[in-house]
Amino acid sequence: MEGRHGQKKEKAESPEALKAREEKEAVLVREYLGLKDSLKEIVDSNRRDNEALKITTALLRKSPDYYTIWNVRRTILKEGFLDNANEETANIIYTNELEFVQDNLRLNPKSYFMWNHRRWCLENMSKPRWDKELGMVGKFLEMDARNFHGWDYRRYIIRQVDLQDGQNKDTVLARAQTEFDFTTAKISQNFSNYSAWHNRSTLLGKLVENLTEQEREATVDNEFDLVKNAIYTDPEDQSAWLYDLWLIGREQRSISTLGASVISFNPLEIVVAFDEIVKLRHPFTVSTRIDHVAIPLAGEWRATGSDASLGSVWIFQQAPEVEYGPSVEVVIFSDDICAVRAGSTLPAAVCFELETLNQDFASISGRLGRLEIGKNLMYDVTKRIGPIAEPAGNLETQERSKKHLVTSLTTSGSMDDRVALLDREIASVRELVELEPDCKWPIQILSTLLSELRKTMSIHSSRAKEIDDECIELQEKLISIDPLRQERYEDRRTQLVFDRETLSIVKDSKRLPEVEFAENQPRDLDLSMRGLTHIPISSYFIHLDTLNLDSNAITSTRFLRNLLSVRRLNLSNNLIERLEGVQHAPSLEFLSLEGNQIAKWEDVMAGFVFWREGKLSRTGATVKVLLGLNPVVENEGGEYVLEKRWEDVGEVGVQIQWQTDEVRLAEEVQLRDDEGVIHMEGTRRVSATVVEFDAGAGH
Amino acid sequence: MSHSPAPSSPELLLDQHVKYIKELDTKKNDLEYWLTEHLRVNGLYWGTTALHLLGRPEALDHDQIVEYLVKCQHDNGGFGGHIDHDPHILSTLSAVQVLITYDRLDAINVDRVVDYITSLHNPDGTFSGDAWGETDTRFIFCALNCLSLLKRLDDKRLNLDKTIEYIVRCRNFDGGFGSAPGGESHAAQVYVCVGSLTILGAQQHIDADQLGWWLSERQLKNGGLNGRPEKLEDVCYSWWVLSSLSMLKRVHWIDGAKLTKFILEAQDTETGGISDRPGNLPDVFHTNFGICGLSLLGYPGLVVVDPIYCMPRHVIQRIGLADKH
Repeated sequence: MEGRHGQKKEKAESPEALKAREEKEAVLVREYLGLKDSLKEIVDSNRRDNEALKITTALLRKSPDYYTIWNVRRTILKEGFLDNANEETANIIYTNELEFVQDNLRLNPKSYFMWNHRRWCLENMSKPRWDKELGMVGKFLEMDARNFHGWDYRRYIIRQVDLQDGQNKDTVLARAQTEFDFTTAKISQNFSNYSAWHNRSTLLGKLVENLTEQEREATVDNEFDLVKNAIYTDPEDQSAWLYDLWLIGREQRSISTLGASVISFNPLEIVVAFDEIVKLRHPFTVSTRIDHVAIPLAGEWRATGSDASLGSVWIFQQAPEVEYGPSVEVVIFSDDICAVRAGSTLPAAVCFELETLNQDFASISGRLGRLEIGKNLMYDVTKRIGPIAEPAGNLETQERSKKHLVTSLTTSGSMDDRVALLDREIASVRELVELEPDCKWPIQILSTLLSELRKTMSIHSSRAKEIDDECIELQEKLISIDPLRQERYEDRRTQLVFDRETLSIVKDSKRLPEVEFAENQPRDLDLSMRGLTHIPISSYFIHLDTLNLDSNAITSTRFLRNLLSVRRLNLSNNLIERLEGVQHAPSLEFLSLEGNQIAKWEDVMAGFVFWREGKLSRTGATVKVLLGLNPVVENEGGEYVLEKRWEDVGEVGVQIQWQTDEVRLAEEVQLRDDEGVIHMEGTRRVSATVVEFDAGAGH
Repeated sequence: MSHSPAPSSPELLLDQHVKYIKELDTKKNDLEYWLTEHLRVNGLYWGTTALHLLGRPEALDHDQIVEYLVKCQHDNGGFGGHIDHDPHILSTLSAVQVLITYDRLDAINVDRVVDYITSLHNPDGTFSGDAWGETDTRFIFCALNCLSLLKRLDDKRLNLDKTIEYIVRCRNFDGGFGSAPGGESHAAQVYVCVGSLTILGAQQHIDADQLGWWLSERQLKNGGLNGRPEKLEDVCYSWWVLSSLSMLKRVHWIDGAKLTKFILEAQDTETGGISDRPGNLPDVFHTNFGICGLSLLGYPGLVVVDPIYCMPRHVIQRIGLADKH
C-alpha cells in the first residue's frame, strides 16, 4: 500500500524515448487532474447521481488506495440510491459494487480499501451470498496462496457465517473441519505455505476440543506425520518446522522464589529473590506477631536497580517508626506478581518466616549467607495471615499428578505421556540430523526437544547433565552452520552453560522443576572463560562474596543491581562498553574492568549516577575500579578528565583508580592470596588518580 | 556487538538521499505524484524522519510544512492524507509525529486530536482507522503512539486493559501477532503489537525468546529481511523486524553487517533514495525505513532513532518519553 513494491528500475532511455514518455505522461496527468476537479465539484455540490458515481469509478480504477473516494462513493450510493431503494434494487446495486471491486482486486489484490468496500457491501446487503464469497477468495488464493488479505478475508467470511447461524455448535464445527481440509489441500500443493500452516493451528484447537483422549491422540499423530512429510521433502523450509515446534509445545515455566532474608533491622529491610524478572501487581504481604496477634506491617516493596517496578530481587523497607515482633512473615500470592516473560507464573502462594529477634550481624553479606527458603502454600487463600499448610503427598506424587500445561494439543495430563512423546520425537529428529548434518532446523528442534525433556527431570540427575552437555554442543554446531544468527545461539549457549555452572547454588524444590537456593551456599564463584554473553539469572548471585567473570563475552553490567553482597567482582576481558548498576551493588569494593571496550568517561560515570537511601545507599563507600586496557584510558589523558568528571557527578563517594601494569600485577597477587579486606595502602602507585567525594546532603 | 558495514559494502549516499527527499515535491509532471496524493502527510513524516536521521533537519521548510499540515486537520480533530482528504488515523499519527519532531504542536488544537482518536476507540479495545470502522492492530498502535506522544494515555474515555486483552488475542502459535485474532503473524503487525504493548508497559504478554527466534529467522542469506516465512526480502522489514527485536533487546540476534550491506545496495546511485530491494525504483517510504534500519544498526554518522516511536531519539528524549520504556 505505502511504497512501491517490486517495480524494476528501467534502463536509461534515449532522449527521443524520454520525450515521448513525458508527453504521454502529461496527457495522463491532465486526464487525472480533470477527474479530480470533477470530484471536487461533486463533493462541493453534494451531487448523488449516476454521473457522480461514474467519476468515482474512473478515479478508483486509477488510484484504488485513494480512500476518500471510496468514502465519497459509499455516500453517493447510500444517499443517492440505497436509501430509497427496495430490497431487490438494493441487492442489484450491492452486487454491482461487488463486481466492480472484484475486477479491481484482480489488478490490486493487496489494496486494503477495496477489501473493505467489499465488506461494507456484504454487511449491508439483506442476503449476502457468503458461499459465493468463499469461492471468490478461494480463486484469489489460487493466484497467490500467501496473500494475507485473502486469508484474512476468508477467516472473516467464516466468522460472519458462524455469527449468522447463531454459533450453532455442529455447523460451526463442520465449517472448521472444511476450512481445516482446505489448509490440508493447500499444504499438499505446497508444503511451504506458511499461511495454511498458520490457519491450521487456529482450527485444530477448535476441532480437538470435543474429541476423546484416543481420538485426540490419533489427530496429533496425524499432524506429526504431515509435518514429517513436509520436513523430509525440504528440511530447510521453516514453515513445517515452526508448526512442529508448536505441536511439541512448551511446558509452562514456573516462577520460583529462591529465598528471603532480613538485611537490616532499623529500618527493617527484607530481601526476596526470584529466579526471573517479575513485575509487582500487588505488594507482598508482610506481617508480624505482637502479643500473639498478627498485624500487617506497613512499608514499601522495590526492585533493586534504577527501575524499581520490575526485577528478580525485591526489597521491603518498613514505614518509619513501626514496631515489629520477634519474627516477621512474608506471603507472596500467585497473583501478586507476573513474569516479564510470557507464560510463567508462581504456581502457589509462598510464605517466608524470618527471625528478627537475633539482630547479630554487621553487614548485609552476613545475613545473605543465611537465606530462608520459602514454604509452599498449596492453596491460594486471599491475603491470609496465619499458619502455613504443608504441601500434601511426597514429591513424586505431587509431580505425577500435576497437569502439564503445554499446548492444547499435546496436553494429555500425565508426565509419563509427555516423556513418551518427547522420546519418540527426539528419536525421529535424530534420524534427520544424521541424514542432514548441516541443516540447522533439525538441530534447533532437537535442542528444543531435549530442553523440554530436561524439564521433566531433576536438574541434578545425570541424565539432565548429559542433556545440558549435548545441547551446548548443538549450539556450537548451529553457530558454525548458521553464522547469521550466531549471537542468538551464543545467548542460548550462555543460558545452558549458566544452568550447568550454577547447579551448586540451587536445588530442586518440592515443586520440581522449580528451584530454590541450596542450604550450603558457596560464597565464591568462578565463571571465567565460559563464553557467557550475559548473566541469565543474576538473583542467583545475591549472596556471593566474590565473583569471577573474567574472559567472557558479557556486554552489559546491569546484573550488578542484584549483587547485594559481592565485594569483589572480576569482569576483565569482556565486551562492556558502558558501566551500569554499580550504584546498586552496596557491598562492592573492588571491580576489575580491564580489557573492556569503555571508550568514554560518561560511560564509566553512568554507573555512579543514582543511589538510594537506606542500607543500600553508597554514602561514603569506596569502590576501586580498574580500567586499564580500555579505550577510555588510551584515548584521553587521564587525570584531568577524570577529575573534571567527578565534579560533574559528585553524588557517590567512590574511589576510582587505574594503575600501571606493575601495580596491577601487585593487585593480582593480592587478589589470589587475599582472604579478607584488601589494603591498598603501601602499594606503589604510578600515575594513579584518587578522587573522593562525599554524597551530597540533598540526596 | 559491532555492526560496522562489511568491507565490500557501499557507502551511504547521504547527500543524494537529502536531495531525493527535497525534490519529491517537484515531480508534478509524474502521474505517480498525483496518484500518491492520499499519502502526502505520511510522506512528509517519512521524509522528515529520514532527513532528521541524516542530520539535515533543515532541508525542508518547516514553516511551510506546518502551515500545510494545519490545513489537513478537520473539525473533528483528525488529519487527512492531504488537504480535502478525509481524516484517518494513519495520517493523524503522521501529522502529530512531524509536528512534534519540529516542536510545533502549538500550531494545532491538541485536545481535538485526542477527541478524534478516542472517538475511534471501540468497546473491544480496538481502534478504528476512521469513521467507516475498519479495525486492525495497526490502528491500535497509531492511536497509542499518538496519545503517548501527546501524553494523553490517561484519558478517561480509554479502556486500555481491553486493548491489551485484544492484542493478546492476536498472538499466534509462533509467538508473533496478526492484524486481528486469527490473523497470520507478519513482521509489520508484530512491530505494531510489540510497540503497543511496550507503550502500555505490558511486554509480559510477549514471549521474547520465541518471538525473537521467529523474527531472527526473517533474515535471508543475502542479509535482507522478509516479513513472513518463505517470502522475499524487502528493505522496509529492516524496520519492522529490527525495531521489534530492539524493543525485545535482541537486535544482535541477526547479522547487522549483512543487513547494512543489503540496505545500502538498495540505494539508487543515480537519483538517491532507497527501494524495496536492489535494482528497483526508490520511494520515500523505503528510503525512510532503510535509513531507520541503518540507524538502529548504529551506522556511523546517523542520528539515533527510537525503536518504538520511529522518530529521532533526541526528540523522544526532549518530550520526556525516552526512559519510560
